[in-house]
Amino acid sequence: MSKTYEYVPEPALVKGNHDFKDITAMVTDINMRPTPKAWYVAFGISNILLLILLVAVAYLIWEGTGIWGLNQPVGWGWAIINFVWWVGIGHAGTLISAILFLFRQGWRTAINRFAEAMTIFAVMCAGLFPAIHVGRIWVIYWVFPIPNQMAMWPNFNSPLLWDVFAVSTYFTVSLLFWYVGLIPDLATIRDRIKSKIGKILYGTFALGWRGSNRHWWNYEKSYMILAGLATPLVLSVHTIVSFDFAVSLIPGWHTTIFPPYFVAGAVFSGFAMVLSLMIICRKIYGLEDIMTVDHIEKMNIIVLVTGTMVGFAYAMEFFIAWYGGVEYEKAIFILRATGPYAWAYWIMVICNVVSPQFFWSKKLRRHVAFTFVISIVVNIGMWFERFVITVTSLSQDFLPSSWGYYSPTMWDVLTYVGTFGLFFTFFLLFLRFLPMVAVAELKGVMPQADPHNYNKDGEYVPPKIEVPEPTNKSV
Amino acid sequence: MSDQSNQTTYWKSLNELAQNEEYKKYAEREFPENATELTDQVSRRSFLRVMGASIALAGFASCRKPVQKILPYSRQPEDMVLGEPLFYATSMPFQDSVTGLLITNNEGRPTKIEGNQDHPASGGRTSIYNQASVLGMYDPDRSRSPRRNGENVSKNDFVEFAADHFNNNNGRILFIDEATSSPTYHRLKEQILDNYDADWVTYEPFSENNAIEGTQIAFGQRLRTVNHYDEAGLVVALDDDFMSPQAHKNSVENSLKLTGRRSVESVDDSMSRIYSVENAFTNTGSYADHRLRLKSSQIAPFTFALASRLAESVSGLSAFEGVSNDFSGHDWIDVLADELLNNQGGSVITLGAQHSPEVHAAVAAMNLALGNEGSAVTYHELPYRVNRDENQAFIDAISELQAGEFDTVVLIGGNLIYNAPADLNIADALGNAGTTIHLSKYYDETSQACHWHVNRAHYLEAWGDGLSYTGQRSIIQPQIQPLFNGISAVEFLGILLNGEETSGYELVQDTWSDVITSDFTREWERVLHDGLDTESGFDSASVSLSGNFASAVEGSLGQSEVSGIEIAIKPDARVFDGRFANNSWLQELPEPMTKITWDNVALMSAATAESIGINPQRSFRNNDVPKVRISAGGETIEIAAWVEPGHADDSITLTVGYGRSNVGRVADGVGVDTYPLRTTENLFFQAADVEPVGSTYEVACVQDHHSLEGRDMIRTATLDEYRENPDFATFKSFHGFEVPGMKQALEKGDDRGPVSLFNEHYGPDHQPQWGMTIDLNSCFGCGVCTIACQAENNIPVIGKREVGRRRIMHWIRTDRYYEGDPDNPTAYHQPVPCMHCELAPCEQVCPVAATTHSEDGINQMTYNRCIGTRYCMNNCPFKVRRFNFFNYTKEYLTTGNDPEIIQMAMNPEVTVRFRGVVEKCTYCVQRVNREKIKSKIATGSRKPEDGAVKTACQQACPANAISFGDLTDSDSEVSRKKRNDRNYVMLEEMNVRPRTSYLARLTNKNPELA
Repeated sequence: MSKTYEYVPEPALVKGNHDFKDITAMVTDINMRPTPKAWYVAFGISNILLLILLVAVAYLIWEGTGIWGLNQPVGWGWAIINFVWWVGIGHAGTLISAILFLFRQGWRTAINRFAEAMTIFAVMCAGLFPAIHVGRIWVIYWVFPIPNQMAMWPNFNSPLLWDVFAVSTYFTVSLLFWYVGLIPDLATIRDRIKSKIGKILYGTFALGWRGSNRHWWNYEKSYMILAGLATPLVLSVHTIVSFDFAVSLIPGWHTTIFPPYFVAGAVFSGFAMVLSLMIICRKIYGLEDIMTVDHIEKMNIIVLVTGTMVGFAYAMEFFIAWYGGVEYEKAIFILRATGPYAWAYWIMVICNVVSPQFFWSKKLRRHVAFTFVISIVVNIGMWFERFVITVTSLSQDFLPSSWGYYSPTMWDVLTYVGTFGLFFTFFLLFLRFLPMVAVAELKGVMPQADPHNYNKDGEYVPPKIEVPEPTNKSV
Repeated sequence: MSDQSNQTTYWKSLNELAQNEEYKKYAEREFPENATELTDQVSRRSFLRVMGASIALAGFASCRKPVQKILPYSRQPEDMVLGEPLFYATSMPFQDSVTGLLITNNEGRPTKIEGNQDHPASGGRTSIYNQASVLGMYDPDRSRSPRRNGENVSKNDFVEFAADHFNNNNGRILFIDEATSSPTYHRLKEQILDNYDADWVTYEPFSENNAIEGTQIAFGQRLRTVNHYDEAGLVVALDDDFMSPQAHKNSVENSLKLTGRRSVESVDDSMSRIYSVENAFTNTGSYADHRLRLKSSQIAPFTFALASRLAESVSGLSAFEGVSNDFSGHDWIDVLADELLNNQGGSVITLGAQHSPEVHAAVAAMNLALGNEGSAVTYHELPYRVNRDENQAFIDAISELQAGEFDTVVLIGGNLIYNAPADLNIADALGNAGTTIHLSKYYDETSQACHWHVNRAHYLEAWGDGLSYTGQRSIIQPQIQPLFNGISAVEFLGILLNGEETSGYELVQDTWSDVITSDFTREWERVLHDGLDTESGFDSASVSLSGNFASAVEGSLGQSEVSGIEIAIKPDARVFDGRFANNSWLQELPEPMTKITWDNVALMSAATAESIGINPQRSFRNNDVPKVRISAGGETIEIAAWVEPGHADDSITLTVGYGRSNVGRVADGVGVDTYPLRTTENLFFQAADVEPVGSTYEVACVQDHHSLEGRDMIRTATLDEYRENPDFATFKSFHGFEVPGMKQALEKGDDRGPVSLFNEHYGPDHQPQWGMTIDLNSCFGCGVCTIACQAENNIPVIGKREVGRRRIMHWIRTDRYYEGDPDNPTAYHQPVPCMHCELAPCEQVCPVAATTHSEDGINQMTYNRCIGTRYCMNNCPFKVRRFNFFNYTKEYLTTGNDPEIIQMAMNPEVTVRFRGVVEKCTYCVQRVNREKIKSKIATGSRKPEDGAVKTACQQACPANAISFGDLTDSDSEVSRKKRNDRNYVMLEEMNVRPRTSYLARLTNKNPELA
């Protein structure tokens, strides 16, 4: 029997048959157009939230940690939950830029710039919390190994110290990676922008990029090296964040499953956050041809995979609690599902495990509005996951005499809400002043960048060579 | 240009430039304001005030921490080495008894109270009232001057008034005082009664009057009952919480003797057996081997039924023959009767002071008939006791006062307006007197209603004397000049008597010159030094059943219980009758059984709560509890309802002392005043109507979960089980398998604990190595360890709101668990300080190494280094670490307008902690180091003798439950205790290796009831 094979071309990553010039214009015109009024409204709202954050933090430092709802068994509350949540969100960027780059996933180019920016701002929000949650913020620098006359070093056994290194390294590398990727696009804007100040600023940050072969060669190499450096960080940051819990001996924290479970959860929430932001931006900025439904579908598949991994981890926690036979661990898992915090636990399960399952349906995972809703639900769920982990275990640990309930105060809530102000203030500035799509890279994955000179029937089609019109100016 | 403009003007300040009045004054003074204060003669007080006030000078120099300046003595007193505390013996009067104490005095400030080892009422131990009294002295809300009609006047004004009034007045005078045993006081009282036309009555809202009247009925003599719990193999406590200070004046001695009788070192030791019958769960009830819950009003019929049952077997109880009531066939009556008959001569039946004289008479007759009198129970005549029913005398005096028969009323202590029975209308009665005078530490409810208020000195400020519960005579020597220029009761009487001030010192010496017949100075000094006259003590009275006993009790035998719901009104565990209400240490001490702070509540059983229509389940999520409206005798109060497991059904227990206003910053607005429900007819229990209010009230309880959940924190066995299986308390016996990893460790030759992933090198060859044991077989949960620790370690008070948010700062807490039938459970107490784990989980997680191990095995906390991540708190499996969520210490120490006063109560050897740092038990490292230094100087070894270092909790414990010492010394007390087969550590499987271990609790159950 003979079998006929048909050539199935991959769908183009950029729709609408744009040429390079179109793409450049589509993306960078956003930065060069006059600022739209809606941007000012959004920026104003973000600024108000940012102000709330500043007030909440100032009052915290003035008055003391007691303004939060923390108490005797529950020494960590919303601050640490928010920290882990924002760090988790910050995961998607590096994953998309580094790992997908190394795996040669061309579709990442439409979203990587965007995701990396989100990463950087999310890590900034995250980094705020460990700093302000300490009792004496004015001596927070003691966590750094700064040589001093007392020869007093930080305690290298402490996961909190590892955190300091992990998060700061991650932030630095992400920032560098992002910036390196930006250079060719900054040069593009420099060349296109009319305003003088713009020219100077973009010119400065473009570091003299002229697009020479040598530049490209250096660029590609450094980008590759940074991707290589960033890849282990994708795994390490959340692994180390999970050590804050896993290294302790509190039931429900002290489990070896935490590192992979946290990384999966982080990718899960990070992709959800990228989706939420992307779905809005592609609409507003008319980038549907670049950030296509195909992209959304691919990301939804990742959300489905990681969401199911997280669900598997939840199940394994219960299994190990039973199998391990540690009385306190058994008790805490039963209490999570049936105790005073059962409401939080079931919110978490429904949001994180149940809601992504809709993405088994191709129709639903290509449905933009539905995806948007699920992406928000997933991030709510992931916040509750951190809440359940952090609070329930502390609330009901070994000695029943010490059990106590934790509820946040107004200041916990305001601080959290305020970080959205910080995040969106930076994000809006990014949207306004920097190209939100990696134009140079995107061009590289367009069909136009890969001419084969054969049509789909295999016949030779000579390339069309356009000879430019001679100009009057002599060269 | 003119000359003037040529001249440049230099100026030092804008004020000088302006040349205003203020500047001129300033320039003339040479020294800036305040500096002149130092040229005054430096008294101890002004010196300390300057110390405190220096905070104000700090200004903005440092926003981080206030800078305080200290000044040295210009002329150092003899015997005083700065930094070395001095210790003085004295005693604390409480009603008509005193407890011998040893006061730590730092540079003239008493800072810590310990028991006097030689004093029988203390034995070196203390109650919570003793421990907290030092803060009572430094209470800035105490009255600071005498007042006439509310206006501040000087002490001289009062002396002049008194001289005039008492010499030129022909009207009758009524003296109402509170109970006191002071010989000087009674000497002056006799003189006053001789000199003036006066009547003198005593009122205590909670006294032993009924017990004394009971002996009058039984033996025809008014006698004090003393139970010797060390002599008794069997104790039957009928609604008597004799181990708690609020219920018994001699609780410390009682506890020490009872727990001593029950201490078990090996399977060969025996324990006495305790039966408790009571309505609310008390500490004594929780310590008892068997407990029966009965309404308070059922105690009388129960007692008579028991007496009737005993009358069948022993003579002397014929009065009770044939009594038949609801309890005649009760299981317990048979069991108790058998036990009592088997322990004749070695048992104690004891009854709560609130019960009627007839029931007390029945108990006295039973003790006599069983031959307990003379051995386990003795009776003593009180030399100062007037031979009459004091309560009745008081009621009669008030009705005479109502009738206008007195011209002057002198109130010595007490707080009648607040705590006298509601139906006496004291306020009206006092209005009938021309002159009313109140001697009081606070300008309280009664002072506010009197013409004159005289501010009273605290016992730590004035000379005095007193007799212990068993009659040992002590001198009260002052530790400091009166802070607010108050006068003591004896000085007050001196003024009334002589019309001029006589120093308390002279008055007391006058009295003692009668007692000490030879070599006065030497003997006087010996008594001062020892803290008591060792030769003194009450003689036992010989008693026999009174001839008319049968007829006297006959009328009461038919007494039946209150039908429906009864309320029982009791003194509060912490504020007693309200006299300690302004003491924040006591207010913040969790009530020993309910663990509630800063409130009084209506205790009831779950069934009773349901029957009156409120939900017996308390929410884990918030502090709101339902309120109930209680009406009795025409008065109504609204109070929070609290379901207490083990409370008798149809009975509600209320405590007094709360609901104050205008007394002090601590007391005001806390809890509900329940005194209005007390009437002369029904002082202690009565029928009441109870209904839910429908609203809720926030209660700050420090323990939200009361069940052990089947966990192994508390391990317990009966004495028989222990004898059969001495290893019952090991992990293996409890769980049925060995601690995981222990076998592997033993194979490697390591017997310190399970095999560890860490390659730790722990506990080098350094000596000593400190450790602690807590014997749960002794602990009855009184909470004095918490107060002692608070006093020793400068632990701040944080107030109800913060406690309600679960932020209590106590370094040692007493956990209380219920187990078994929720209606009638067993209660366990477990004091939990820092365990000083050898592989401390807190140390591993601190990012800045603020908590580390000392070479002698103490888990240290370096406050200066702490940045407050709270990771250590989270990782502590025992949750003993405390966090300064706010600047608690500053708030606590700078209350009101003169912050230096409470600061004087601070222990100078312990750092006060700043906001944002974690703190916890240090094993009293300051005491450890003091002894190490002493030992180093004396012997060259840094290893103090066993027993030299006592932690504050250990020293205060009236049950001798806590042992502390060097583990490298195999003969030390703590090493011996650790070798006890009941020794176990909490969470052994966590492999944190706690240095603090527990000895499992034993109960001596009667197999017939088990």
